[in-house]
Amino acid sequence: MNKLIEVWDVNAEVQWVILIILCILVFSSVAWNTWNFLKPGKLVKELLVRTRSWWVMCACFIVTTLAHPAVTHIGLAFLSFALLREMYPLLKLDQRERNVVLLCYAVIPVQYTLAYLGMTTLFLAFIPVFMFVVIPFLLVIRGETQGIVRSIGLMPYSLVAWVYGMSHLALLFHLPEIPGFTAGPQGLLLYLIFLVGINDVLQFGWGKTIGQRAVLPKVSPNKTWEGLIGGVLSVTLIAVALRFLTPLEAWEAAITGFCVAVAGFMGDAIASGIKRDLGIKNSGNAIPGHGGYLDRLDGFSAAAAPFFHLIYFFGVTAAG
Amino acid sequence: MPAGSIDAELFNARVPNGRRWLLWFLYKVLWRTVFGVVIGLRYVWAKTSHPDGPVIYIANHNSHLDAMSLMTIVPSHRIHLTHSVAAQDFFGRSGFRSWSMKNLVNAVLISRTKEERDVDPIELLDAMLRQGHSLILFPEGTRGVPGVMADFKRGVGHLASRHPDIPVIPVYLDGLYRNLPKGRTMIVPFGGTLVMGDPLLFPTGTTIDAITDKAQSAIASMAMDLKNENKLPPTDSP
Repeated sequence: MNKLIEVWDVNAEVQWVILIILCILVFSSVAWNTWNFLKPGKLVKELLVRTRSWWVMCACFIVTTLAHPAVTHIGLAFLSFALLREMYPLLKLDQRERNVVLLCYAVIPVQYTLAYLGMTTLFLAFIPVFMFVVIPFLLVIRGETQGIVRSIGLMPYSLVAWVYGMSHLALLFHLPEIPGFTAGPQGLLLYLIFLVGINDVLQFGWGKTIGQRAVLPKVSPNKTWEGLIGGVLSVTLIAVALRFLTPLEAWEAAITGFCVAVAGFMGDAIASGIKRDLGIKNSGNAIPGHGGYLDRLDGFSAAAAPFFHLIYFFGVTAAG
Repeated sequence: MPAGSIDAELFNARVPNGRRWLLWFLYKVLWRTVFGVVIGLRYVWAKTSHPDGPVIYIANHNSHLDAMSLMTIVPSHRIHLTHSVAAQDFFGRSGFRSWSMKNLVNAVLISRTKEERDVDPIELLDAMLRQGHSLILFPEGTRGVPGVMADFKRGVGHLASRHPDIPVIPVYLDGLYRNLPKGRTMIVPFGGTLVMGDPLLFPTGTTIDAITDKAQSAIASMAMDLKNENKLPPTDSP
């Protein structure tokens, strides 16, 4: 593969995927604007707002990915922080537990520092082993046990779902050397971002065009079987087509794409269930047309850890 | 100039150039970043643009962060002319507190009790508005019970009825008390929303009580709108 821009200090694979992302964004902007010009409507207005947000998100993701690894770590840590900050007020945690909440926030820099230093064993154990005991214990020694089961459930869950999962992306920077693999951690990161993003878009698109039967009518009436199956199949194909960003064979990329799409759907469904129980439509208003951080990152944070382990298994363990 | 006169207080409220830049940096850069990135405060701006001259900001009050968040929405060129009105008996208690209230918050301290004051606070604030200063008022008078709005005191009515040309900007602050509750010193990020209302103008002759009531109901209705904004439609609707 040849570099598109010879003087740019970014490897060829990453340059190509950035070109592809740009093409998709330009194409959809032009398409929706033309449609809006010919036949304005509510759906196309929403698509325009969403596309504008995608431009901003893609720009942020690409710049953060291509910058120094420390910047990428900080960017990912910020996303974890934004998720916790967005959800804690909605989860209505007891105000008297705010010191434990502060500890939950403090877990984020520790977890990402462990990733940055490459202390993989401690990284993998820190939240699900140590914090899993420490946080309930701190809640208990307050001496007030009324309603404590709820907090003991929520706080470790929030850390595992939105910090632990997401932080596996930082671990991509510490994969062992894989022979013949040139795209680097930046390539892998953009591969996952691309797959999860396109998964959401395609499930939305397939659902809007041919969607008939709801998968989870009580949780999220907008998710249909047609959207799910169409999305998963297309993402599997796209994952195979873009495998130049990974050390994977075609069939391995197909499995990875399939798992990412399914995990993305699961994360999306879990977030919908949580939001429905809390009686809210969106988790926030941070991203116009999409909602809050959780509305956009639900699939991403659920797919991150499975993606890392698949890459590790196929690229390192299975390759010997 | 005799100490304790209105002129002396007004002279006191003037801001030297150095402090003006300090205030700009503190609120338009530092606090704005803290509110936006760390605390996650969402700003909902008014539909109309911000008036140019002096204004009276009024807001509900539950936390020390309230005055900080209001300073971040003041236009840059008026930041040194905008003063939070704070209680002498609480913020003037120690030398450090009153120093930082004057230099870092740009506040005017007024006394809440009749016995210990040399200057009538309404006269002083009235004179400041006449000189082109803006004021930040918390008409509830105190931080009160978290999340509950108390009845407004009549100070805002007195001031607005004397200055029919100065707009009153109602601001509703939601959830800031969770970040820094009364009696705590540590800020824990919990988000929140700042809703800036459209400026209210009261024509000459509006009574003090009418203005106070209107101001309170303006903020109450902003609170209501925000509450209904992110409601989930019932499951059976498509």
